[in-house]
Amino acid sequence: MPAGQGCERGWGNRVTIASRYHRFAVIAVTALAALAPLSLMIYQSFLTEPVFTPGARFGLEAYRSVLADEDFAVAFGTTLLLGSCMVLIAVPLGSVLAFLMARTDLPGRNWLEPLILIPVFVSALVLSFGYVFALGPVGLLTTWLKSWTGFTPWNLYSFPFLVALAGLIHVPYVYLCAATALRRLDSELEEVARASGAPLWKVALDVSLPIATPAIFFGGVLVFFLGFELFGLPLVLGEPQGVLVLTTYLYKLPGRMDVPPYQLMAVVAAIMIAIALPLVLMQRILLSEAQRYVSTRPRATRAAPLKLGPWRWPAFLAVALWLAAAVLVPLAGLTLRSFAATGKEGIVLPGMPTLDHYRALLDHPDLVGGMVNTLGIGLIGGAAAVAFYGAIALAIHRWRSTWAPAMNFLVMVPRAMPGLVAGLAILLVFVSFKPLAPLRETLIPVWLAYAIVWLAYGVWLMSGTLLKVAPELADVARTVGANNAHVKRDVALPLIRSGVLTSWLIIFLIFVREYSTGVYLLGPGTQVIGPLLVSLWDKGATDFVSALAVVNVVMIGAGLFVAGGLGARLHG
Amino acid sequence: MADLTVNDLALRYGDNEALKGVSISVPAAKVAALLGPSGSGKTTLLRAVAGLETPHRGSIRIGDNVLFDAAAKVDEPPEARGLGLVLRSYALWPHRTVFENIAYGLKLRHVRAADIKARVEGTLDKIGLKHLSRRYPHQISGEQQQRVALARALIYEPAVILLDEPLANLDPKLRDEARAWLRHLIVSLRLSALLVTHDQVEAMAMADRIVLLNGGRVEQQGLPVELYAQPATLFAAQFMGNNNRLEGSLVERADKRAVIDVMGVRLEGVASTTAAIGDKATGIIRLEKVTLGGGPGANRILMSLKAQMFVGERWELLFAKDALTVRTYVSAPLKHELYHVEFPPHALWIF
Repeated sequence: MPAGQGCERGWGNRVTIASRYHRFAVIAVTALAALAPLSLMIYQSFLTEPVFTPGARFGLEAYRSVLADEDFAVAFGTTLLLGSCMVLIAVPLGSVLAFLMARTDLPGRNWLEPLILIPVFVSALVLSFGYVFALGPVGLLTTWLKSWTGFTPWNLYSFPFLVALAGLIHVPYVYLCAATALRRLDSELEEVARASGAPLWKVALDVSLPIATPAIFFGGVLVFFLGFELFGLPLVLGEPQGVLVLTTYLYKLPGRMDVPPYQLMAVVAAIMIAIALPLVLMQRILLSEAQRYVSTRPRATRAAPLKLGPWRWPAFLAVALWLAAAVLVPLAGLTLRSFAATGKEGIVLPGMPTLDHYRALLDHPDLVGGMVNTLGIGLIGGAAAVAFYGAIALAIHRWRSTWAPAMNFLVMVPRAMPGLVAGLAILLVFVSFKPLAPLRETLIPVWLAYAIVWLAYGVWLMSGTLLKVAPELADVARTVGANNAHVKRDVALPLIRSGVLTSWLIIFLIFVREYSTGVYLLGPGTQVIGPLLVSLWDKGATDFVSALAVVNVVMIGAGLFVAGGLGARLHG
Repeated sequence: MADLTVNDLALRYGDNEALKGVSISVPAAKVAALLGPSGSGKTTLLRAVAGLETPHRGSIRIGDNVLFDAAAKVDEPPEARGLGLVLRSYALWPHRTVFENIAYGLKLRHVRAADIKARVEGTLDKIGLKHLSRRYPHQISGEQQQRVALARALIYEPAVILLDEPLANLDPKLRDEARAWLRHLIVSLRLSALLVTHDQVEAMAMADRIVLLNGGRVEQQGLPVELYAQPATLFAAQFMGNNNRLEGSLVERADKRAVIDVMGVRLEGVASTTAAIGDKATGIIRLEKVTLGGGPGANRILMSLKAQMFVGERWELLFAKDALTVRTYVSAPLKHELYHVEFPPHALWIF
C-alpha cells in the first residue's frame, strides 16, 4: 500500500502532500494505460498502412474496404443476433434460477452454488472444446448414442445449437446479478404476499422478480455485451459451419498475408469499441440504479426461504438439467477425451484410459513453459494487478473532487475493448514504439493487456474492499489516541486484508482463464494456456488441446478450492 | 368470524425449541395480544398461525376449518389460510403504488376490476388516505405506510388478522394515537385479531385478552385486568407493570397469606408460593402501591431517600436501605431524609 493515501475523512483527516502526489501519479499512469492503446488503435484505423510503415498516411480507405466486405456485414448481423438470443435464453433462466436459489428451500442450495458458477470461471473456449468432444460428430456422447439408436441425434455445428449453448453457459451471469438483489430482498415482502393469498409462483412474478428487475436488466445488458465479445464459442463451434461473428471475423482477417493488415483490423476493432462503449456506460448507469432501488434496511432480516412444497423436486430436476447441459456435459467430455486413446485424425479408440496426452504435453518445452507462465501471470501478475487496482482505488476513495467522476470514467473506458481487441491494441503499442521492442519477448505485454482489460472490474473490487473501512471506525480510533500510522496498522489493514486476498484470488482465476486477450500476443517466451489452446486448436492438435484444457480447469479448480477454504464469497 | 384455536403447538429451529406446546384461543370478534420478552416465541407463534413456519406438533384451526394439524398431516399453505398479515416493517411492496398494494389481495381473489376500484377507494377513504392512492410507499410517511399495510390486510375481509408489532416503528407520540385508532377500527369492523407486542401497555390497551408467553410456553392468559391485578407467577407479576422486588425468606404461610423476612423486618402479603418455611422468597409490589407511613408500623421499613426525579405528572422517589432499593411515586417532592416506607399487605405478592 503506498505511504500516501487519500481520504479527507477516515484515517487521517488532513490531506498530505504525499497523498496528492500519489493521486496525480496514479491518475497519470491510469490515463496512459487506459487511453494510449485505445487511441493508437483509433489512429491506426484512419491510416492507409500499418502505423509503423513509413508510407502510412491518413485516409478512409480501410473503413471503405471493411464496410464494403459482405462477410463483415454478415458477421455484424450474426453478432447482434447471437447477443440477442443469448439474452433471451439467459435472462429468464438466470432469473428463475436466482429466485429458486436465493428465496426458496430448493434442495441442495448450499452445494449447488459453486457448481452454478463454474461457467463463469471456466472459459467459454474450454467449454466449447468440451462440447465438441462430447457432442461433436465424433464426440463421445454422440457416438455412444449412435451405437444405441443407429443415427446421429443432433448436429453440433448448427447455428441454433451454437446460440443455445452460448445462452446456457451465460445463465450464471444473470443469476449472479439477480441473486445478489434477491438475497437483499426483505423476506417479509414475500410473506405478506403469501398471507394475502398469492401462491408461490405469483409471489415470484408479482413481488420478488419485479423488485429485482433493475438487477436483472443489468444482467441482460451484461450478457448482451459478453455475447458481443464472445470469441471461443463461435471460433470452435461456428467456424466449421462457416458462421463468423465480429471477433472471429477480426481473428480470421489476416488470412495468409505476411504482414497483418493492421489498418483493416483496427477498423473492425474501432467499430466494435463504438458499439461496446455505450453498452459499458449503460451498465455503469444501471448498476448504480440497481443499487439505489434495493433499499437495505439496517434491521437484519431473518432469511425465511419460501417453501416450494410439492415443487421442490421438479425445481431441483430443472436446475440439474441445466447444470448437466452447461457444466457436466462439456467438462465430462473434455476430461474423458483427455484420457482416451486416439488413433489417426483424433478418432477415439476403445480401450483403457491412457495418460499419453499428458505425457506428450510434458515432452514439449513450449507447453510446459506455457503452464508455468500461466501460473506466474495468475499469481505474480495477479498480485501486481491487485496492487495497481488498489493504488487507483485508494486514489479515488472518498475523493470529493470534480476529478473523481472523470477518473471513474477513465477506469471504465478500457472495458469497451473486447479482450481480442485489447490484445491487438497492446500489440500495436509494442510494435510501434521501438524502445519497447525488447519487452515483446517477455510476459509484460500480456500482463499489461490482462490488467487493462480487467481494470474496471479490479478497481471496483478494491473500492468495495476499501469501503469496509468506515470513516467512523478511524475517527473513533483517533479519539482514543491512535495516530495515523496506528489507524492504518490496527484498523484499516485488518479490515481490508480479507478483501485484498479475495481480490487476488479472483484476479488469479480471471488471468488463468483468460484466452482472447492473449491471442495476438502469443509468441516465443510469452505462451500462456489460453492463447496456446486457440493456436493448438487451429493446428488441429486436439490431443494436446484436451489435456491442456483439463490442466487449465484443474488450475481454476484449485483456485476455487482455496477460495472456498478461505471462506471467500466470490460475489455479492 | 370464527374462533381461532391453537392447540399444543410445538416448533423448533434446529435444536432450539421456540414453542413448547402452546394452546390459546381467540374468540370471534375479539383481540388477543401475545405478550412476552424477546425470545419468548410470540412472533414464532404468529408466523406459525400464518403458515410461515411449520410446527412439528399440535394443531391450528379457525372454527371448524383445520389450517394445521401435525397428527393428521394437514398443513395449508399461507395463501390458502385466508388471513390478514401486518408486520412491524409494514412490508409494503416498493414497486407498487398505495392503490396497487391494497388491491393485490382482491386481484388474487379474481374480483372484477370495477369492484376492486370501488372497494379500495372506499377503504382508502376510511383510513383517510384517498389523496395518496397513486403514491409509492417511499413517498408517504411512516404512519401512512402503517395505515396502508393495515388496509391491505383488511380489504379481503380475512377471518383473522395477524399483527406483528404493528406500531413499533412509529414515534412514541404517534404510537399512542395509532393505538387508539387501530383499536377502534378493529372493534368497529368486528374483526378477530391476534396482536404480537412486547409492550405491556399496548397489550392492555388494545386487547380483550392477553396471552403472556415465556420461553415458548404460555405463562398466563386472561383478561388484561386479571393479568395485571392477579399475576399467577413471579414472571407474570414482574412482566406486567413497574415493580419493586424484595428478596427475603419465608417465615409463615397460612392459606392465602404469607409472611417474609426482609432484612429483619416481617412483611405480610398475598401468598402465591409453594416454598417451605425458611426458603428464599420474593416479594413483588407495584411502584404505585408503595405508600409512606407517618411512623413505625406493620409492613413498614425505615429507609433513606436517595433521589427524587420529576417525571412530569408526578415525582418518582428512590429509597434505599443497605442493598435494598424501593421506588415509588408521590405528587409533591419530599423534604426529609428518612421515611417509613409501607408495603400494604393486599398489594404485596409473595412468590
